[in-house]
Amino acid sequence: MIIWSIAKTTVGDALRKKVLQIFLVVAIGLIIISLSFSQTLSFSSRAGSSTDIMLVKSFGLGLMAVAAWLISLVMGVSLIPQEIERRTIYTILAKPVKRYEFIVGKYLGAVLTLAINVAIMGVVFIAVCVFKAMGAEQPIAPEETGLPIVGMQQVGLFDWNMVWGVIMIFLQFTVLTSVVLLFSVFLTPTVNFFMGLGVYIIGVMAPLTETLSSKESQLHPVLKAFYRVIHTVVPNFDKFNVTNTLLHPETHIESMAKYTGIVTLYALFYSLLMMLLAIIIFRKKEV
Amino acid sequence: MADAIAVRNLTKVYGGALKDRVPAVDNISFTVAQGEVFGFIGPNGAGKTTTIKILLGLLFPTSGEAEVLGKPAGDIETKRRISYLPESPYFYEHMTGAEVIDFYCRLFRMGAAERKAKTQELLERVGLAEDGHRTLRQYSKGMLQRIGIAQALINDPDLLFLDEPTSGLDPIAHKDITELIASLGRQGKTVFLSSHQLGDVETVCDRVAIINRGKIVKIGTLDDLLRAGRTVITFAKAGSELVEQVKPYAERVSADGELVRVYVESEENVHSVLDAARGKATLVSVLPQRQTLEDLFVEIVREVRK
Repeated sequence: MIIWSIAKTTVGDALRKKVLQIFLVVAIGLIIISLSFSQTLSFSSRAGSSTDIMLVKSFGLGLMAVAAWLISLVMGVSLIPQEIERRTIYTILAKPVKRYEFIVGKYLGAVLTLAINVAIMGVVFIAVCVFKAMGAEQPIAPEETGLPIVGMQQVGLFDWNMVWGVIMIFLQFTVLTSVVLLFSVFLTPTVNFFMGLGVYIIGVMAPLTETLSSKESQLHPVLKAFYRVIHTVVPNFDKFNVTNTLLHPETHIESMAKYTGIVTLYALFYSLLMMLLAIIIFRKKEV
Repeated sequence: MADAIAVRNLTKVYGGALKDRVPAVDNISFTVAQGEVFGFIGPNGAGKTTTIKILLGLLFPTSGEAEVLGKPAGDIETKRRISYLPESPYFYEHMTGAEVIDFYCRLFRMGAAERKAKTQELLERVGLAEDGHRTLRQYSKGMLQRIGIAQALINDPDLLFLDEPTSGLDPIAHKDITELIASLGRQGKTVFLSSHQLGDVETVCDRVAIINRGKIVKIGTLDDLLRAGRTVITFAKAGSELVEQVKPYAERVSADGELVRVYVESEENVHSVLDAARGKATLVSVLPQRQTLEDLFVEIVREVRK
């Protein structure tokens, strides 16, 4: 009950933040504008074709990821410092509230805020994709197969892959939120912002750190060990980056539901680990 | 009966560069009895809020012990029986007054019906029954302070920590809150009151501690601390001869039209002045004046600064 109360209050507070509202509105606006891309961009000349739809999907998923990234970072960095600065934490922790309840409540509130924002963007994005797909056609025998085009067929209106894409974006940034929540226990919001940014960039480059730390790598053993530590400790955000896979049927994952399940477990495990560390540090934190 | 608060050799040094480490609280010891209204006064930066935060478990002592209601400070079960009103409290502005109280009720794991009744009762008690539906963004400072008081009364606490509860309030709100504190004292609640409003402290507190630069420099009941001051004797129709005659016994003599006021320090001199004036002037009044807490506070702080 206490955790839920703190979470609800966090959501109410976060949703009223002007800066987060701006991120959301701009992202929605750009997703809607992407409807007219085929008419304006020279590299996509076949209006109403499957290429245009792919462009809208690719742009929309990328844009949602950027907006969710900004939302989780901007909201996450101030989760704890803001409570201390505004002194709301004093009246809460002076009540019979365990410190872990406060941390879990704040994280849950942040995740709910992220979920609401991603869900709103996701609904608009999928609606835009459906609208774009209306009346659009694609070749029956695609060029990539080397076979001649035997005709055109109607593009499917609803693409489940887009739903998986939205879920992946949400999962990815629940992990980033947990990282900045941990940092917010002991770092100022500005330092935390750049730390969170750094962790995200390194996490996205997980395939590179994996290669650099592999046995085949020509690097000095000390450097290899360093990259191994980085690769192990920093969350692998690349796992969540499935845009290409979702957009290109030839690279599609065998079972998207199964993959999402595994990635969900990964996000859950990492978030719980971050929360555990945050709770341990916050137990002795002076406020 | 066990003390409500027991502090023994408590020291708090904040982190930072070693050369900057000055104790915010420096080896202080004191107790507060149950049912006592205890004033904790001192200039800005004296260590008042640090002490309160240690007693609430928000800060941890560098050394020494702090007990609240017989348990170490910060004990979660003890928090069911205490409450805290911080200086200039801030609450979530997007919530209404009623929602804020409901939120704090939830922190005590109260059920829906109990929360509803409690919210109504407390809003009425602090005079906000008509404004409970308005968001805190629309509240004045005095109204926010009243919400702060309301959240501090949710659990009908045995011990209340009030940090500057009347700071920045208009005279009506000020009076209401001072009366509320006095009524809590009458109900047998223990109140730990930190305030710069020395008149309030003098009115409502049973005992007072003065803290300066982290050290307690005076502690005791107001009767113990405030010495009997001077006596003002007022005469009418006193001639210049009498004025000259009483001057050796007086600290000061002032004339105001027909009235002459003689300010006398000791009881012995009061008798000497009255004897000297017998038959030479009309005695209007003899008023003993006790030293005020403000006088004592200023005297002590200036002395320490010297």
